[in-house]
Amino acid sequence: MLFLTLREMRAHARRLAGTSLAVVLGVAFLTGTLVLGSTLRRNFDDLFAGAVAGQDVVVRSETLMEMDSPRGLIDLSLVERVEAVDGVAHAEPEVSGLGQLLGADGEPIGGMGPPQLAGSWTEDPELNPYRLAEGRAPERSGEAVVDRNTLERGDLALGDTTTLLTPEPFEVTIVGVATFGDEDGMAGVTYTGLTLEDAMAQVTGSPDGVSSIAVRAEEGVSPEELAERLDAALPDGVEAVTGEALADEQMDEIADTFLDMMLAMLTTFAGIALLVATFSIYNTFSILVAQRTRQVALLRAIGAGRGQVLRTVVIEALVVGLVAAAVGLVGGLGVAALLTALFDLAGFALPTGGMVVTASTVVAGLVVGVVTTLVAAAAPAVRATRVAPLAALRDAEVERTSPSRARAVVGGAVLAAGVGLTLAAATSEGGNVAVAGLGAVLTVVSAVVLGPVVARRAVAVLGAPVARLRGVPGGLARENAMRNPRRTAATASALMVGVAVVTLFTVFASSLEASLEDTLDRSLASDLVVNDGAWGGGGFSPGLADELATLDEVEVATGLGTGEVRIDDDVKSVSVAEPAELARVADLGVTAGSLTDVGDGRIAVAEDTASSHGWAVGDTVEVTFVDGRTEELAVAATYEVDDLTGGYLLPRSVWERHALQPTDRMVLVDVADGVDLDEAEAAVTEVADRFGGPNVEDREEFTATMTAGVDMMIGVVYALLALAVVIALMGIANTLSLAVHERVRELGLLRAVGTTRAQVRSAVRWESVVLAVFGAAGGVALGVFLGWALVETVSAATGNLGSFALPTGTLAVVLVAGALAGALASVRPARRAARLDVLTAIASP
Amino acid sequence: MTTTPTATSTDVRTRLAAQAVEATKVYGSGPTAVMALDAVTVGFEAGRFTAIMGPSGSGKSTLMHCVAGLDTVTEGRVLLGDVDLGTLSDRDLTLLRRDRVGFVFQAFNLVPTLTAEENITLPDRLAGRRTDPDRLAEVVETMGLGDRLAHRPSELSGGQQQRVAVARALVRRPDIVFADEPTGNLDSRAGAEILQLLRRAVDELGQTVVMVTHDPRAAAVADSVVFLADGRIVGRDDDPTTASILERTSSLGG
Repeated sequence: MLFLTLREMRAHARRLAGTSLAVVLGVAFLTGTLVLGSTLRRNFDDLFAGAVAGQDVVVRSETLMEMDSPRGLIDLSLVERVEAVDGVAHAEPEVSGLGQLLGADGEPIGGMGPPQLAGSWTEDPELNPYRLAEGRAPERSGEAVVDRNTLERGDLALGDTTTLLTPEPFEVTIVGVATFGDEDGMAGVTYTGLTLEDAMAQVTGSPDGVSSIAVRAEEGVSPEELAERLDAALPDGVEAVTGEALADEQMDEIADTFLDMMLAMLTTFAGIALLVATFSIYNTFSILVAQRTRQVALLRAIGAGRGQVLRTVVIEALVVGLVAAAVGLVGGLGVAALLTALFDLAGFALPTGGMVVTASTVVAGLVVGVVTTLVAAAAPAVRATRVAPLAALRDAEVERTSPSRARAVVGGAVLAAGVGLTLAAATSEGGNVAVAGLGAVLTVVSAVVLGPVVARRAVAVLGAPVARLRGVPGGLARENAMRNPRRTAATASALMVGVAVVTLFTVFASSLEASLEDTLDRSLASDLVVNDGAWGGGGFSPGLADELATLDEVEVATGLGTGEVRIDDDVKSVSVAEPAELARVADLGVTAGSLTDVGDGRIAVAEDTASSHGWAVGDTVEVTFVDGRTEELAVAATYEVDDLTGGYLLPRSVWERHALQPTDRMVLVDVADGVDLDEAEAAVTEVADRFGGPNVEDREEFTATMTAGVDMMIGVVYALLALAVVIALMGIANTLSLAVHERVRELGLLRAVGTTRAQVRSAVRWESVVLAVFGAAGGVALGVFLGWALVETVSAATGNLGSFALPTGTLAVVLVAGALAGALASVRPARRAARLDVLTAIASP
Repeated sequence: MTTTPTATSTDVRTRLAAQAVEATKVYGSGPTAVMALDAVTVGFEAGRFTAIMGPSGSGKSTLMHCVAGLDTVTEGRVLLGDVDLGTLSDRDLTLLRRDRVGFVFQAFNLVPTLTAEENITLPDRLAGRRTDPDRLAEVVETMGLGDRLAHRPSELSGGQQQRVAVARALVRRPDIVFADEPTGNLDSRAGAEILQLLRRAVDELGQTVVMVTHDPRAAAVADSVVFLADGRIVGRDDDPTTASILERTSSLGG
């Protein structure tokens, strides 16, 4: 039978190509994600390995807050103790921290994604991952070495003088240009190297503390052994790790905080694309099998067994899946490049070198492609075996058209269960995300199952205006869309799923934006907000708030920063501010105590956080800081609105005793009475410009900046979902092509009795539009319901994310876009239908 | 009016290639039920060419489908040789069709993507066997297809396509060949050619052929004609001529 299958496939290559494309795209997306993943992993690996190259052992503080925040400091005098240990060839103290270098335009260089680093220039070339390419190392205070990449991005050159924000402004002269190994820079990281003294004074602000000590081992001493010896010689709270372990640690960290999440997200979207592709493949195979009914019957009549018929379809699916997956694998390389570009566009610079294609990627792509195709083709294959040999003798009835009662009953039951669970989860106290998820899946499944049941009626209603407005072609379009509800539903299902996910995200994002706006509206009382953008740059010096407060135009200016502490052994994010001042420009909805009482030795806690810990005003909370020290802080106030400050609000006086580089994320400014807002904004901007030029925005602009973050996220999501929607549209185009092929005689007859080419085209086009609108409308309905459920459940579960907001405008755009896309999908099949030669069409069997 | 059986037919009566005994076929159920066959008993002798005639809706196609194992009877028995078709599973029926029955249909007889030769050898391929080259040559020779074997159906005339179908039906030396209106789609010259080929299959290759037709000239080529009307056997003509058949059919109102 193989020869027959292959012969058939060759004869219908064009029809199969349409099917394959769905698999190709799905697999390409998946392998693109996997390739991107392994490429990034490899590049990060290289990066971290390069960064510790030559450093056999690193001595550092044991204190750690969050993986990606700096550790505590260690005493400079430890260098002598380290050098005294047997096997140490050389040891050098290092200071590292954050520092934004201002470019020629006065704006900080970089800031999205890769960190902006500043530290001491390590003199020993073997311990320093950076190499001097031009100029010399910093020798005097105010001299700096900067990596070549950063200089180019900031339009700076050797000998220029600029400002380094640590976050205090510090003037530096560039005396040297560095490369990271052979590269011009370290994957988007900006690096400024100072003298050790400058770095200690500016970056860590400690007279006798350094970040770490880099150690080179003597010949014949292994790093592991040396690390052990050093550990024994070091005091408590200080540890020695090998450079290799350090690189691994950093790799794990980037994987935990960013890589895994990003790849999981991409894989999810690849999964959605593949799911949509499954519908498409299922539909094509159903149609191909239906069109082959007579041939299958003939084979059965002359002695082909059911198994042989099943095998022909399965082999066909196998070959389609294999070929498509192979093509998709190649396409995956392109997708990986595209995804990188997409992230670049969104402002995340990813380190990319050569593409890394692992064996597991290839296997995963092939297996997923083949399995997806086989699963999708299974039902049509089984249907093919049910063709009776007698069908060869009858006029081929093309496909069973009416959905069964069982389908309606099962679909209805699943729908009731799905909607019931979803509603229960969304409206319950505390919101059960797992139950809501199950309900959502069941609801989607029921929509797919019920599709054929409602298709005829739905399409009749949607097609009614078309039939009225477009005359005969419109009527034909409507009738054609109605005549096979199963096929109509399967075609529309693909689009429905795609559109439902788009809608879900749209609803979620608009609700998120609405509640963000709502919160800012309620809690923010300041006229101006100085901030460093939605994604957060490096922040700026608390000195900015102090200086702004001295302006005549300004009534109140108070900074708000963030940091990490350890409470009850958990790392918590805290806000840092002058609570008394903050109370003048923000309404936190204090429920007990008073923000003016939150001074030194005190803390304010959000109501939810307090109640979950069982704290009340007057209780004490034990807080451990990055320097390893612990303070007992008394709760002096609890507040309700935690969107601005999070769960904990620490007074600046407490924070600055322990923090390495106190930084503000925003300054809330209240303009003095009688001062024009524009005038005040100009005055504030003038000062802000000296601090790296953070944005100075009024309330409206600030709200827009905050929601822009959501917009950007949803933009990326749309781009990722576009593929699923494209696959769905290709499914429509493919179905129509097959339908045209199948209706050749009928089309010929229409032409023979006087239908014009334009009318034939119009009929196919409007059929496509009706199909697309059916799918899009179903998707929007489904997406709105599930979006509402998601918002309600998450908001009940977390207490955040206020209210459901319906983005009517955007959803209308989705529907119109669906209709237009339907018209677009019909271009080729419509052209083919119109081009049919009347006589051949009628004569064809 | 019944014609007296001729001497030859009585002699060969010893073996029946297929027979229906009290075969009844009802389509649908309840008030819409249609009785296509009404307790039909008929036998088809081996090595002979039998035609089944009758007007539209007489049940002639249903009879053939049931005897050929393409359809099942509601009541009664159908035997192919000495195998009772009612006892067979779908799988066994398929194997029976593949190994012991040949088919020629009115239209859509060939797989369009296969060449003439591949179409002829398809049943053997389905069985996972190689076609006996001598038999293939013999059949191809009889059907006059020698120079057409590498052509696709679309490159053949209607008559040539039908000859390929006959060759396919014969190549496995089936116990019986069923032909369903084999000349229905052909012009009269090509039709006559096919009938002669079926005749030669019986005379020269010793095959058994059962043909459904409504064309008296086609039926006249057969050794015997069985007449059906309203699902019942209404007559038999063992020495058919176009004239005798016309006479019979006009009296039947067909």
